Amino acid sequence: MKIAILLKQVPVKDATLELSGDNTWIDEDDVQFEINDSDHYGLAEALNIAKANDGEVTVVTMGPDRVKDSIKQALAKGAHKAIHIDDEEMSSTDPLTRAKVIAEAIKDENFDLILSGLQSDDFGYGQTGVLIAEILGMPHATLVVETEILEGKIKVKRELEGGWFQNAELPLPALLSIQSGLTDIPYATIKGIMMAKKKPVAEVDADDLGVDLDTGAFKLQKIYTPVKSKETVVLDGDADSIVSQLIDKLKNEAKVL
Amino acid sequence: MKNEKITSFLKSLFAGDIRQDIIFPFPQQDKEETENLQMILQAWQEFARDNVDPVEIDKNAEIPKEVLDGMKEIGLFGLPVSDEYEGAGVSKTSYCRVFEEICRYDSGIAVMFGAHASIGTNGIVLFGTESQKAKYLPKLASGEYIAAFALTEPGAGSDAAGITTTAVLNENKTAFILNGSKIWISNGGYAQLATVFAKTIVHQNGEDKEKITAFIVELDSAGVSRGKPEHKLGIRGSNTTSLNFDNVEVPVDNLLGPMGKGFLVAMETLNTGRLGLAAGCIGGMKELLQQANQYAQSREQFGKSLDKFELIQDKIAYIASETYATESIVYLTTGLQDRGGVDVSLESAICKIVGSEAVWDASDEVLQIAGGLGYSTEYPYERFLRDARIHRIFEGTNEILRMFVALSGIQGPGEYLKNVGKALRNPIKGFGLLTGFAAHKVKDTITIDHLKNICPELKNEAEQFDKLSARLAALTENVLMKYGKKIIYKQFILQRIANMVINLFGMAAVISRVDTRVKQGKSIEHDLPLAKLYCNMAASRVRREARYVTRNHDKQRTQISEMICENGKYPIDMLLDK
Ligand SMILES: Cc1cc2nc3c(=O)[nH]c(=O)nc-3n(C[C@H](O)[C@H](O)[C@H](O)COP(=O)(O)OP(=O)(O)OC[C@H]3O[C@@H](n4cnc5c(N)ncnc54)[C@H](O)[C@@H]3O)c2cc1C
Repeated sequence: MKIAILLKQVPVKDATLELSGDNTWIDEDDVQFEINDSDHYGLAEALNIAKANDGEVTVVTMGPDRVKDSIKQALAKGAHKAIHIDDEEMSSTDPLTRAKVIAEAIKDENFDLILSGLQSDDFGYGQTGVLIAEILGMPHATLVVETEILEGKIKVKRELEGGWFQNAELPLPALLSIQSGLTDIPYATIKGIMMAKKKPVAEVDADDLGVDLDTGAFKLQKIYTPVKSKETVVLDGDADSIVSQLIDKLKNEAKVL
Repeated sequence: MKNEKITSFLKSLFAGDIRQDIIFPFPQQDKEETENLQMILQAWQEFARDNVDPVEIDKNAEIPKEVLDGMKEIGLFGLPVSDEYEGAGVSKTSYCRVFEEICRYDSGIAVMFGAHASIGTNGIVLFGTESQKAKYLPKLASGEYIAAFALTEPGAGSDAAGITTTAVLNENKTAFILNGSKIWISNGGYAQLATVFAKTIVHQNGEDKEKITAFIVELDSAGVSRGKPEHKLGIRGSNTTSLNFDNVEVPVDNLLGPMGKGFLVAMETLNTGRLGLAAGCIGGMKELLQQANQYAQSREQFGKSLDKFELIQDKIAYIASETYATESIVYLTTGLQDRGGVDVSLESAICKIVGSEAVWDASDEVLQIAGGLGYSTEYPYERFLRDARIHRIFEGTNEILRMFVALSGIQGPGEYLKNVGKALRNPIKGFGLLTGFAAHKVKDTITIDHLKNICPELKNEAEQFDKLSARLAALTENVLMKYGKKIIYKQFILQRIANMVINLFGMAAVISRVDTRVKQGKSIEHDLPLAKLYCNMAASRVRREARYVTRNHDKQRTQISEMICENGKYPIDMLLDK
């Protein structure tokens, strides 16, 4: 069974971020990067499924040279091989464009199952996986909390809102995005680290895939640091009026009720 | 005159030779080793962040089984073992860097790990036969076996050569029969394997002599019993018990190293142990600095955050520069060990002294920065302080190590602590004094040797180092001429000589580190202020110690101590005295 895990590299959680000169991305110079948190759960699920079904896990990562560190980490945690889609310029942040590139790069691999995390910690679109499924013409399920491989299909349990779950069966090949926090995430082992070097990493250049990188469905124009605004409002009136004002504000302004 | 036989930087320094070739350039790991190290560190950090709770460990005086299992799973127990025996196969340098990070998360785990890896397993790595290695190392590497190191006894702590545990060969010469008790044994409650030191009868030159021999003992053997865990001030996660041997059969195959060479086994093993311990102290200091910074920046008094006050800046700067120096001497020494061919026994003893004292000072000062909160058990500062205290005591107390550094330096190359121990008990016989050294020195007047071609940024510091090294050599010679063999009783003096060497080693390592970075075209923006502050503090300490060698109040100190001991108490009651 051939399983792919789409794994993204993002800035570390406690990184101090500065905007780049043209305000379209962050200044990467002094920033450290790590594997996107929710992708750990995708990787964990991929490794578990592979273990139970004699499968092979391929890490698929798109990004500049620095993402090789994350690829190695995933290999040290037990993945078998990797595809690095080299995108030195980080040409587009548009999820559709990126999905097209990734789909093009992996379409001939004929994966039985493609997994991704829930969303990325940088842009948080949560779309790339689903779009790849569309492009490759395979069924998909998001927010998956349980999987079971059956003959030619996969049974999944999805988390819905309000404590509801959905059980579904999808024919293989299929794409799933895995809900975070449910499995134990795997740690790299020293043996894994030493073996990681010998595992194959295929290099694909994003520019060579024939996807138009410049005209995405949307373009990121500007990012900015939210302006902090602190405002203290003193409520006047008798107790009853203050209570009703307060309830109104909590309901309609703070939206916590 | 260079003594080419001496392949120890510090032993040469005593003789006035600055062996720059040994410590320049500062040792570096290759790219692959660095990449592996980074990933191992990351594996441990991810694991520790999710699973290690130092507060719980301290409270329950126990490391949870899941933590031990997780560490085994990652492969950390195999760090000191080569890949040939299913270990990690990393350098001493990488080993120590990982140790640093383990200690940063929890000192109790670090002590458990150090007892297993640094001293429990390392004896077999260094002295084991092929078949001993094949039999035990894979199990120790996987963590199926946890190891311990059992030297200390009720009557033999610092005076390790005074152990009374015996191992006697049985009649058909198949096994040694082990009898005796060990105390204070880390991992004693659950280790499956221990390196145990015992007195044996060795035939030498037609005579029977009592000599120490090392053995690998499986602790589930009949006749082994374990005491209850000690209640301790700090490192409470680590387990410390006595081990008792009542007619325990140890197969002859489990003899570790040659008969009668147990002391050598212990000392060589402890060399590595002390480096790990010192690395752990670096981890502790880095954590303390981070905590101190966070607190000092957030706490405001008199309308300013604490970090804006000079007296707080003083503490932070002091801790940071000591951290820098400890890092420099530890990774210089591990680098030398990795390269091989040099004797680092003095260097590693110094690393242990410096690391343990720096982390103790740091924990004390950081508690002070936290003020009243520092004293509360709701905050981590008091735990840091309790955890830091042990390092000055075990693996050789700092007092004993200072005597070791001074005496073996004076004595010249190739000697080990055993001679110091012997000398302390029987000076006339034990201290094969100064054979070549004194004579050699009398002939050659001391000329100032120089560090050559040092980057301009540290030119002054290098010159200070040159001068003070010459002073060390001159003083060493003077005290030898003055006291002869009696020098071994002159602990006040020996301690000062040790302190000079300790600080000179720090300076040399720091200068080598910065100079090497400059020559590699790397930035020294962060390094330079730390290096300069350390070198200048160290140099003034060396000068002070040197001054006190000749001008001191040692007689009064001895007199006062004797007076108190005679009276059994402070002898004056000031206000009631008629
Ligand atoms: C938590 C813990 C874990 C330990 N783990 C281990 C272990 O795993 N394996 C093991 O074998 N041992 C272990 N030890 C023992 C430790 O190594 C000894 O406690 C240490 O060597 C000191 O010996 P001692 O306690 O007998 O003190 P002593 O030797 O009695 O020393 C008491 C004091 O006198 C000083 N002193 C002694 N002799 C001299 C001298 N000649 N000149 C000047 N000062 C002197 C010492 O420096 C010290 O300050 C452990 C101890 C502790 C507390």
